[in-house]
Amino acid sequence: MAQLATAWAIFQGLLLEALPFLLIGVGIASLARWLAPGGAWLRQLPGHPLLGPLTGAALGFALPACECGNVPVARRLLAGGAPVGTALGFLFAAPVLNPIVLASTWAAFPNQPWLLAARPGAALLLSVLLATVLRLLPEAELLDPVLLEERRLSQPLAQVGLLERRSGLVGAIDAKAQPLKVARPPLQEVLQHGSREFLDLAALLVLGCAIAATVQTLLPRSWLLAVGGAPTISVLSLMLLAVVVSVCSSVDAFLALGFAAQVTPGALLAFLVLGPVVDLKLLGLFRVLFKPKAIALTSAAAAVAVLVLGQWVNLLRL
Amino acid sequence: MRAFALGLWGAVLLQSSLSGRLDLLLSGVFHPLVALSGVALLLLAGLLLAELALRGQESPAPSRRQAIPKIWWLSAAVALLVLAIPPNPSFSTLAANRPAELGDETELSFVLPPAQRSLTDWVRLLRSQPDPSLYAGDPVRISGFVLPQPGEPPQLARLLVRCCLADATPVGLPVRWPAGRPPRADQWLALEGTMAIEERNGQSRSVVVPQRITPIARPKRPLEP
Repeated sequence: MAQLATAWAIFQGLLLEALPFLLIGVGIASLARWLAPGGAWLRQLPGHPLLGPLTGAALGFALPACECGNVPVARRLLAGGAPVGTALGFLFAAPVLNPIVLASTWAAFPNQPWLLAARPGAALLLSVLLATVLRLLPEAELLDPVLLEERRLSQPLAQVGLLERRSGLVGAIDAKAQPLKVARPPLQEVLQHGSREFLDLAALLVLGCAIAATVQTLLPRSWLLAVGGAPTISVLSLMLLAVVVSVCSSVDAFLALGFAAQVTPGALLAFLVLGPVVDLKLLGLFRVLFKPKAIALTSAAAAVAVLVLGQWVNLLRL
Repeated sequence: MRAFALGLWGAVLLQSSLSGRLDLLLSGVFHPLVALSGVALLLLAGLLLAELALRGQESPAPSRRQAIPKIWWLSAAVALLVLAIPPNPSFSTLAANRPAELGDETELSFVLPPAQRSLTDWVRLLRSQPDPSLYAGDPVRISGFVLPQPGEPPQLARLLVRCCLADATPVGLPVRWPAGRPPRADQWLALEGTMAIEERNGQSRSVVVPQRITPIARPKRPLEP
């Protein structure tokens, strides 16, 4: 009974902390929709395999949102026809590469200058890697069907067939692939769309928080940290902790501070890099972007990459 | 339904802020953000309702009514549950799942006179200057909850929270409880007494010897930053 009451309290804590950030993210996405309707600028973003993800990551500085907030923004990028690599680069790197998160990392670890460089560097590397891996899947297998349909509508006919797009004119000359001029949507429509998006994401967030709270109450955290001293196992255990705890990237540095002294440096970095990309709470939110297969691929690729990264840092710093 | 669901979530956020529930769940820095988000959601719900009313006057039969996703009903039900059932965590259950570790101190804090130190101040001081002979005989006036320890008497503890309850870390002080009256887990107590030295497993450590133990209600702000 005490465990149930505690899980309920943790659930409320996680949810109440994440909802404002989700609202900020949806707000940014709606604002972008209103200010740049049709998203012509989105299609100007580079589609280059390396440059694309890097541009997406750089967008994190312009659109500061933490991991719950950046899912709606990334969805907006994809629906507006931005190159997949750019949107994925943003999705995976922006939760770390933004001023708020960098400042909180600095505030938590002012005496660890290597971490201040390593965290954004590793996040950038991971986002480029994940974007490269996920681009191997065709869009139809990568993206959620609803999102894919929205995306097809914003892509020029030169890139997608009429059958894929399910609208348009047969025989229309569209060789230059000029995006349509779209009028600014009325404010009501932006509000309607934003509120629908917020409610969809909030429902998924509820699901993610429920899983995270249950696992946290049932699984003693000492199990995860008991193995802190051994290099490989410490990296693995902190990766697991990051996935389970599911705290926002803007505060996870303070949480890491709580056990920084007990674990290897590679494990610490693994915690700070993996958490913003994959965690139980995010797995729910990712459903609005990806098909389950792509979510599984993201999780597996991120886990392997972070493990290698953590090992490498341990080799360098131990 | 959309305005209703948004308003419901807004009410959840605002009610949590106003009722002081957040003191039990989140670190203080996030409280204004939660309250503001609640107000924003309620305003949004109001706007949607107003727009719906206007449109209703223009076209009496709304033809483009969309189906309501089932998951919205589910989340609205959860929002109602959150409103109805306030959190009542067992701090000792929460702490049992956590390693009692403090990070390196980031901020330099002044050392208060002994009788004014809170439990957290004492724990931080003992971590930085562990020599028990420095504190023997110092007056102690602290409050906290009873945290059972495996293989030794329960400690008096507090929870440190940097983000939300999910990252709570317990900090505790050993107490030499009066014989024959073991305290109940989770009970909040105020202790007045002195610091003493005790030997445990071949090492000496500081222990609180209470002269007066008063049961108290859980404080309004039980979490420490």
